[in-house]
Amino acid sequence: MHRFRNVLLTLACILAAATSLSAQTATLRGTITDSLTREPLQGASVSLVGTSLRAETNDRGQYALGSAPAGPAIVRIQMIGYAPAQRSVTLTDGGETVLDVPLSSSAAQLEEIVSVGYGSTLRGELSTSVSSVSAAEIANQPIASIDGALQGKAAGVQVIQNAGNPGNAMSLRVRGAASVSANNDPLYVVDGVPIVAGDISQLGLGGQSVAALSGLSTDDIDRVDILKDAAASAIYGSRGSNGVVVITTKRGVEGKPTVTFNSYVGTQSAAKRLDLLNSTEYLELFNESATNDGYDPDFYGQIGVADSISVDWQDAALRSAPVSSAELALSGGDERLRYRIGGTWFDQSGIVSPSGYRRVGGRLNLDFNPTGRLALSTSLAVTSDHNDRVEGDGSGEGIITNVIGESPLTPIRLANGDFAGPDDGLTYVNPVALANLNTVEARSVNILGNVEARLRITPSLQYTSRLGVDLVNLKENQFQSARVSGSEAAGLGGTAKSGYSASDRYVIDNFLTLVPNLGTRSELDATAGGSLELTRSELNFIRGDGFSSDELTQVSNAAVLSEGDATNSRNNLISFFARGSYTLDRKYTFGASVRTDGSSRFGVNDRWGFFPSVSAAWLLSDESFLKGGFFDFLKLRASYGLTGNQAISDFPFQGLITDANYGNIPGSAPSNLANPDLKWETTKQFDVGVDMVFAKGRVSATADYYHKKTNDLLLERPISATSGFTSVFDNVGSVLNKGWELSLTTVNIEPHRADGFRWTTTLNLAVNRNRVTALFNGQPFNDGIRSINRVQVGQPLGAFQTLHFTGVDPQTGDAIFEDVNGDGAITADDETIVGSPWPDYTGGFTSTFTYKGFDLTGFLVFSQGNQIFNAMRIFSASGGFFLDNHFRDELDRWQQPGDITNVPRASFDGVSGAAEISSRYIEDGSYWRLQDLTLGYRLPERFAGSLGFANARIYGSVRNLFTITDYTGYSPDVNSNGSNNVDSGSLTGSSQVGLGTDFYAYPQARTWTFGVQASW
Amino acid sequence: MRIRFALALALSGALAGCDSLLDQSPTDQLPDDRAITDARGARTALIGAYNALQATSYYGRDILLFGDLPSDNAEHTGTLTSFALADANQFRADNTSADDIWNAIYDGINRVNIILEKAPALTDLEETEKNEILGEAHFLRALHYHNLVKFYGDVPIKLAPVKTVEEAADIVRSPVADVYAQINADLDEAETLITSTEPTTQATIGAVHALRARVALYQGDYATAGAEADEVIAEGYDLGPYADLFDAEGIDTPEDIFKVTFTAVQFSLEGFYYTSEDFDGRGEVAPTQDLFDAYEPGDERLTWSITLTDDGALSGSKWATTVGAEDMHVIRFGEVLLIKAEAQARENDLSGAVDTYNRLRDRAGLDPHTLGNEVTTQAEVLAAIDHERRVELAMEGDRWPDLVRTGTAVSVLGIPEFQTLFPIPQIERDVAPGLTQNPGY
Repeated sequence: MHRFRNVLLTLACILAAATSLSAQTATLRGTITDSLTREPLQGASVSLVGTSLRAETNDRGQYALGSAPAGPAIVRIQMIGYAPAQRSVTLTDGGETVLDVPLSSSAAQLEEIVSVGYGSTLRGELSTSVSSVSAAEIANQPIASIDGALQGKAAGVQVIQNAGNPGNAMSLRVRGAASVSANNDPLYVVDGVPIVAGDISQLGLGGQSVAALSGLSTDDIDRVDILKDAAASAIYGSRGSNGVVVITTKRGVEGKPTVTFNSYVGTQSAAKRLDLLNSTEYLELFNESATNDGYDPDFYGQIGVADSISVDWQDAALRSAPVSSAELALSGGDERLRYRIGGTWFDQSGIVSPSGYRRVGGRLNLDFNPTGRLALSTSLAVTSDHNDRVEGDGSGEGIITNVIGESPLTPIRLANGDFAGPDDGLTYVNPVALANLNTVEARSVNILGNVEARLRITPSLQYTSRLGVDLVNLKENQFQSARVSGSEAAGLGGTAKSGYSASDRYVIDNFLTLVPNLGTRSELDATAGGSLELTRSELNFIRGDGFSSDELTQVSNAAVLSEGDATNSRNNLISFFARGSYTLDRKYTFGASVRTDGSSRFGVNDRWGFFPSVSAAWLLSDESFLKGGFFDFLKLRASYGLTGNQAISDFPFQGLITDANYGNIPGSAPSNLANPDLKWETTKQFDVGVDMVFAKGRVSATADYYHKKTNDLLLERPISATSGFTSVFDNVGSVLNKGWELSLTTVNIEPHRADGFRWTTTLNLAVNRNRVTALFNGQPFNDGIRSINRVQVGQPLGAFQTLHFTGVDPQTGDAIFEDVNGDGAITADDETIVGSPWPDYTGGFTSTFTYKGFDLTGFLVFSQGNQIFNAMRIFSASGGFFLDNHFRDELDRWQQPGDITNVPRASFDGVSGAAEISSRYIEDGSYWRLQDLTLGYRLPERFAGSLGFANARIYGSVRNLFTITDYTGYSPDVNSNGSNNVDSGSLTGSSQVGLGTDFYAYPQARTWTFGVQASW
Repeated sequence: MRIRFALALALSGALAGCDSLLDQSPTDQLPDDRAITDARGARTALIGAYNALQATSYYGRDILLFGDLPSDNAEHTGTLTSFALADANQFRADNTSADDIWNAIYDGINRVNIILEKAPALTDLEETEKNEILGEAHFLRALHYHNLVKFYGDVPIKLAPVKTVEEAADIVRSPVADVYAQINADLDEAETLITSTEPTTQATIGAVHALRARVALYQGDYATAGAEADEVIAEGYDLGPYADLFDAEGIDTPEDIFKVTFTAVQFSLEGFYYTSEDFDGRGEVAPTQDLFDAYEPGDERLTWSITLTDDGALSGSKWATTVGAEDMHVIRFGEVLLIKAEAQARENDLSGAVDTYNRLRDRAGLDPHTLGNEVTTQAEVLAAIDHERRVELAMEGDRWPDLVRTGTAVSVLGIPEFQTLFPIPQIERDVAPGLTQNPGY
């Protein structure tokens, strides 16, 4: 690897030498207008081909380019929504040239600026696959974090909400997933700083976690670019395999000060209730289970006596809850200094008491040009969030767990007003008591900032230096009351836990950007530099048991300090990177990039990873044989490259020992088996794509096919426990993801007048096929809740493996399972692949109508062909084996010989097969959901003006109005395995393959909101 | 030109500093080549080997629970599927508890194997202490393998630590006889090397004899069992108040031979799982009515072991708190007396046998048996001993192995023969293709 670094060094020197330091300078200025309306255009980009000089027009449409080299030059003018223009001018030394250009409008998005990592480019010039989502598309969604707002917005980006609790972490998968033990979430980069996005919480509340990403206010985001193919993401090398989400925050633009106000209020309620048995049906089922197995037919009480009341626990625990958000921002500036100062507020109560999420934040983004050659930018955001959490998925003391599981026969409260408990006949700890008496607070402070200096050494060469910090501090306090009878804490006299977690990351980037003047036919854009990333995580935890009162809830009030922890961990990354793009005749583009990363997470032997990529694009529509034809724009792209994944804990390659004490005597024991050969997970991805615009700019489409093979998976694979260890991190196996993506935007009805009726639609569609192609010795293994997710060659990652339920014997009422190995007995060996959590296709569909001031938008998200392991059925479809309340489809159970049904007979002893985990618990998880329906009205300018606004819009919207699905749980958009915790240095995460399981996930809400957007 | 020079300098400076930034180690763990490099390392490694016994799946809960749950002593009253299936004697190869117990025991074996490999070469360990450390390691290994063999039958014998990922998969099962041979060999070593007689939370010479007595009983070698029990008796152990054995803080009693220490922080879940939800336990497992009925009227052990809830349900109360700071007995003098009694009875010393087990009846406040009165034949004496074992050691993880050992599990519980051995965990067989399964699974 040393040789490569020397090459880089030489390259840097050549770049510097190739650049002339002496140049005569000229100034170019002018005004850009709309060719139809003659209105000035703000935000148009004016650039000088062959230099890094670029300016944006101000609110009067004016631009100025100083320090330009004298001589003949090509000026390019670009703006979103307009066709690009190009003009030849001659700049005179020391003189000033005026160039005014009118632009004609176009529906294609070819002129948007796309961030590609250590630089940006125009969409029309990309030779790689990048999806973009604009601020308008993510605005005003009543959801805390950006990942949720991206759902259905970009082809090939699958967002799974995991559960409905406010501020919850989500799962985001770009072009499928490959990793088994390493994280499958993409890298998030905010204004050039790769941030810590994962969960650093220390409180395990059953599956669902808090994500540091939710500390980033969505109101601050200007655009999101998702780097999907290897040629795009290889610039982030060792962390590019899962795709890269590049987030750019809003910045000030030249013009008079503008105040923006944006606010909504809304109300949420559970989008769905589960159908559970009432007390008579419950009693009938359970008594029948006793009768069937030869026990007392009134074992559970007499019908008509014991079922005198029927408690609806869902009614008791679910509530309607408010959500509100507000943003106030001031932006503006002049040629020297541009600013944007914003404050945001987001407050969402959960539909399960007492959960809720509240965030306040402030952001200051400044751009300062002290001289024509030097530009300084700073971005600084401070947010504070407060998350009231509840015990979640699968926890025995989870509110939703027990709401579903609780018997309807026992009242919530006793006659004396106390909460009923298991002693009083409840099946489990009272969920209403849990909601009322226990608290979990997570408060975090996030500081995300960077300072960037760009020095134009010559018109062609720019040096950028950037220092970024991402500091996340999380404080957690949990109190579990002794008054929740039957709970673990009750046995301990109450429990309090207090945790502090911090994650600090410092990023230093230095790079050179070279845009030499190669004449009129050739364009070159090259970037090379280095990056250093230092990450440190730290945590403290303490727990106390035994409290004299529910009013004294601090650990300091505890009778016994029962648990304590304090530790820290570091990981560092050193990187060098280079990227070049050469375009000939504005038609043929060739790109290449390399990155080498050195990581402290790997042993000396395999510490450095090397990630190259190449790409090419051919602008067919500019060829003479197509020019002026059907296509306004037609480009073919192809790319190939290598990316990596290192999202594992910090020290898995080292053989380690740690403390193992006995009584009060200190001891030690092995904690990790060494694997000195551990190295990077590497993904080789091939992508071909086409971008096209036709029908006079009314149809634009992008399609991609990709083939993505991941080798040397970082896998915490099981090893024989006879070694003293049950697993080891190893580079094992391969996973293939291949598929295609389509984005299609059409203007279906184009008005003749600007405020006429306009109808546009956007479709994102992605098909991904995921298959494990190799494993260690070909040995399959299982993971996930109840070990149902199979990792097996030839199958999708995490396919569901369990007994295959084929029906119910009409004579006996017993479940029939397929005897796969034909040995005449149903055993563990008969478990077989019965489904997959991976969808056949996913996407989103948006339809927007505008007429005069009105706008109506419907946004549909969908996922089809995936299955869900409804793990709630283990208990609530067990034919009376478990005392949980049962789902109403148990009413269809077999009751007498001859009954034809799919529900086995009730069985007290659990011998009918009803309580056997099988494909009976696997359901179709396909869904279509109307994610958003918004009706807005923009106030007429004269009216708005009379109120003092430049612009004002009011709107009403409903999120999750309906979901079309056969899935019987709360929501098919679910992942109870949650996202794991790899960035904080824990060695626990292996839930990456456990997609598609619902184990009492928090229900999702339907939200009605009303909002105002105004500026003046 | 100056700029170019500065750039070159900056880049090369960055390169030089690289590799040291990449050399990071955890702050709370040590590289394993630093384990057992000196006397202190050996001592802490031995303590770490005892720590393995505290695991939840070992004496912290499962091995004790699963020594009663599949039998007529305890039943499942909670939610865990692996427990429910164990109670119903419907073990399957994917039973997670059967897997967890296996893992916990082999973790313990690996820890002693490291000591046995590294400690002999240490030069700063004085001979007596080195012998004591090695002897205790041998004792623990014997205990681990006996725990394995009595639940799983044939098991792989590992006598050296696994160093590479590759060798971990290369295992086969050894027949029960070979496992017992290894246990006896380890006990021989332990007997030669161990000199200590305290503390009882670690292996002592008395513990070696006691375990040997137990192992001999399982092998049907009654002469050895009786002789080893006599060695233990000669060490001066005695019966004390029954309740003291299960004291909330784990006080020492004259009956202690070897017990695993637990504290409020390093807690056991035994009490929490046996205690009914009515008494703020988890109530995952409860004593059976059959066990309750097995106690004779006036047996003081019943009142200590089982408590009735308000609605008459049974709550296991041997470990009376849900904190879990009680010490867990691996082997205690009461069991040694029962081993001796059984050895005597098997060898037809019936009156001796009755005298021996009467010590436990006496402690329980029950009238002594007299040969020719309550019991006469060898079968009756053995039945009385079996009964005595059941109530004396109830919920201490002995009932199921006893039923299997005496060949009565099938008749008493009405279960298929193959269920008398736990399955070899499927997950193990998936990663070690040479591992065979017990028949029937």
